[in-house]
Amino acid sequence: MEEERRFRCLRCGLEFTAVHRKDGEPVERVCPRCRSNSIRPTKEAKG
Amino acid sequence: MMDAGRHPRIKVLVSSEVIDVSGAVGNFHVKVRRRARYVQQDLCNSCAECTKVCPVIIPDEYQMGLASRKAIYIPFPQAVPSAYLINPEDCLGNNPIACGKCLEVCEQKCIDFDMRDEILEVDVGAMIVATGMEAYDPTEITEYGYSRYDNVITSMEFERLICAGGPSAGHFVRPSDGERPRRIGFIQCVGSRSSRYGSPYCSNICCMNTVKDTLLLADHYPDTDAKVFYMDIRAFGKGFEDLYLRSRSSGVRYIRGIPGEIEEDPQTKNLRVRVENTLAGELEQHELDMVVLSVGVRPRLDSNTVQRLLTLSRTSDGFFLEAHPKLKPVDAPTRGIFLAGCCESPKDVKDSVTQAGAAASHVQVLLSAGRIRIDAGTPLLEEADCIRCGRCAAVCPFHAIHWQRGGVPEIIEAACSGCGCCAAECPVDALTMRHSTDEQLKAQIDAILDEHPEDKLLTFACNWCSYAGGDTAGTARLQFPVHGRLVRTMCSARVSEDLILYAFEKGAPLVLVSGCHFADCHYINANRQTVTRVERAWDRLEKLGIRPERLHLEWISAAEGQKFAEVMRVLDEPRAQVTAEEIAHTRKVLAEERKRREGRKEKMRAAARKKREAAADARAESSAGAAASVAGPAKS
Ligand SMILES: Cc1cc2nc3c(=O)[nH]c(=O)nc-3n(C[C@H](O)[C@H](O)[C@H](O)COP(=O)(O)OP(=O)(O)OC[C@H]3O[C@@H](n4cnc5c(N)ncnc54)[C@H](O)[C@@H]3O)c2cc1C
Ligand code: SF4
Ligand code: SF4
Ligand code: SF4
Ligand SMILES: [Zn+2]
Repeated sequence: MEEERRFRCLRCGLEFTAVHRKDGEPVERVCPRCRSNSIRPTKEAKG
Repeated sequence: MMDAGRHPRIKVLVSSEVIDVSGAVGNFHVKVRRRARYVQQDLCNSCAECTKVCPVIIPDEYQMGLASRKAIYIPFPQAVPSAYLINPEDCLGNNPIACGKCLEVCEQKCIDFDMRDEILEVDVGAMIVATGMEAYDPTEITEYGYSRYDNVITSMEFERLICAGGPSAGHFVRPSDGERPRRIGFIQCVGSRSSRYGSPYCSNICCMNTVKDTLLLADHYPDTDAKVFYMDIRAFGKGFEDLYLRSRSSGVRYIRGIPGEIEEDPQTKNLRVRVENTLAGELEQHELDMVVLSVGVRPRLDSNTVQRLLTLSRTSDGFFLEAHPKLKPVDAPTRGIFLAGCCESPKDVKDSVTQAGAAASHVQVLLSAGRIRIDAGTPLLEEADCIRCGRCAAVCPFHAIHWQRGGVPEIIEAACSGCGCCAAECPVDALTMRHSTDEQLKAQIDAILDEHPEDKLLTFACNWCSYAGGDTAGTARLQFPVHGRLVRTMCSARVSEDLILYAFEKGAPLVLVSGCHFADCHYINANRQTVTRVERAWDRLEKLGIRPERLHLEWISAAEGQKFAEVMRVLDEPRAQVTAEEIAHTRKVLAEERKRREGRKEKMRAAARKKREAAADARAESSAGAAASVAGPAKS
């Protein structure tokens, strides 16, 4: 199952939406702007 | 296969599948379901009388549905053992009114409708996974009309049609009219190298398979006009370029361009293909009698089951992951399990056989040694502290911890790879990683942050990737700020939330947790737990009024010296921005928080201990009561 989630990059501060797969292999999260992997799900994302 | 079937020390279990695996390297216990074949294989002499009288006619899977078989059959001519079997789904013998015609004619009396599936249990020291792959089914590419047009076939069907043991006894004919096709087109990369259909990867075997097929045609039917539509021909193996050039010089036309559509003439069943010839820069139209779709391969649909049973890992394309792409190409990450053939990646027969030989040799080395050497860095359980929560077992990627609800976890050291994920997960510090204890790691943190902590970028780096990435950056003499200080752990999953908080408490302005990219994790998928822990730590920091932006996470491979240097460069600015006041505040907050945390842990341990004691008392009481009632009331 796929759903869209909000994430925030803790390196550059960019907030973005990305597809989150609940089942299946998790994928590495990358900031689309600065390529950092310090990607935190936002509060709403955790719901 | 026949040699294996005859070999005194090889036991071939056909129609069988593994349904359960327990234990570890050297001592695997495997349960196998052997399906009933309804024919006693030792008695059957393959006289074929049964198959003549069987009234059920169904498409023969081996001949790709181009011929038929009966419900009692031999799957393919070289099958081992050479004995008939009944497919219960096809056979009328399973209906209430059994047909039983085969039973009547079998002189050997080997047909037995009461046969049942058997569960066999075997103990083995090592296992080789060689479950292969599946060919891509091109039905979804409606533009090619595979399921609508009789004369559009796959390369698998081509193999059957041209084979002497095939449905037409090697006479190459069109399915629509049984006539020999004279104009044949091959379309390459069907279901491969595509973001739309099938898979994005190159299937590796289909170019050379087509080259071989065109040579077969040139050999058997020299007047055939063959055309190959391709993106690029990948003829990279030994002698392959030579075969490709032979195919070209035999008159086969190679046209660079993949057709968008196939049309059929409903009367003649001939096919029309339009293609942009990208070398000539022209739109071309080709009239053909037959089109062969050169289908790619993909992982078997039941790979999940095998993966779960054997604790395997898979790459993003779905094939099983080897322990190391260069140094351990036939080892699975789980010790004692090896990979061979296309289950690991698409490859031809030669490479499959090479890999199978290597896997068999590795097994020999392992088994002939009789004993194995395991890393000393395994977890040690302090049973008195353990609250029997099972979290360690849940996160162990190697299933090296056996745990039953409410029980003490049992650590199978032979299966443990020493990632330390369990110790980082334990909520009450009941697990100590030998040679990588919390105390040892904290001593390193202390030493790093002892003087001028504000100048240090405290970095947890995993042994295999990010630490090696740092080495790569160093040996390549890349320039980056000198503030990075590395604490090496075997896996990033060894880094507990406590260790991260400890580093901040000791004055680290910034903490970086780094590890392997997901696909490279040396402990199957332990680094997924790293993400969970770092996320938990971000939440915790925020709750305590500490900026989560001070904790960073980066995946850096051993080859990514550039990325390592870049991360060190980029993080130097936020490190320098953390003020002395902020650090002092963090230290104070976290020192208090640590005391509270220790208190919470002690409470959890005490509560669990109390619960255990109460349960033990209750058990003692009930057994005393039972003993009293057996003895009867005491006589006064
Ligand atoms: C269309 C096509 C054309 C090809 N042409 C060529 C060619 O010309 N030359 C060449 O060198 N190679 C060719 N290949 C590749 C070749 O088929 C493979 O290299 C080879 O079959 C790989 O062998 P394998 O043992 O890994 O897998 P497979 O041959 O797929 O064998 C795997 C076996 O495992 C069994 N199995 C699967 N799951 C289980 C389970 N859970 N329990 C028990 N058994 C299981 C399967 O039934 C099967 O018998 C071609 C492949 C395709 C699809
Ligand atoms: S081997 Fe050739 S036909 Fe097969 S996917 Fe790769 S490029 Fe395409
Ligand atoms: S160290 Fe890793 S492999 Fe070993 S028991 Fe703990 S989680 Fe499992
Ligand atoms: S308390 Fe620790 S060692 Fe005990 S079961 Fe839980 S995680 Fe495992
Ligand atoms: Zn960013």
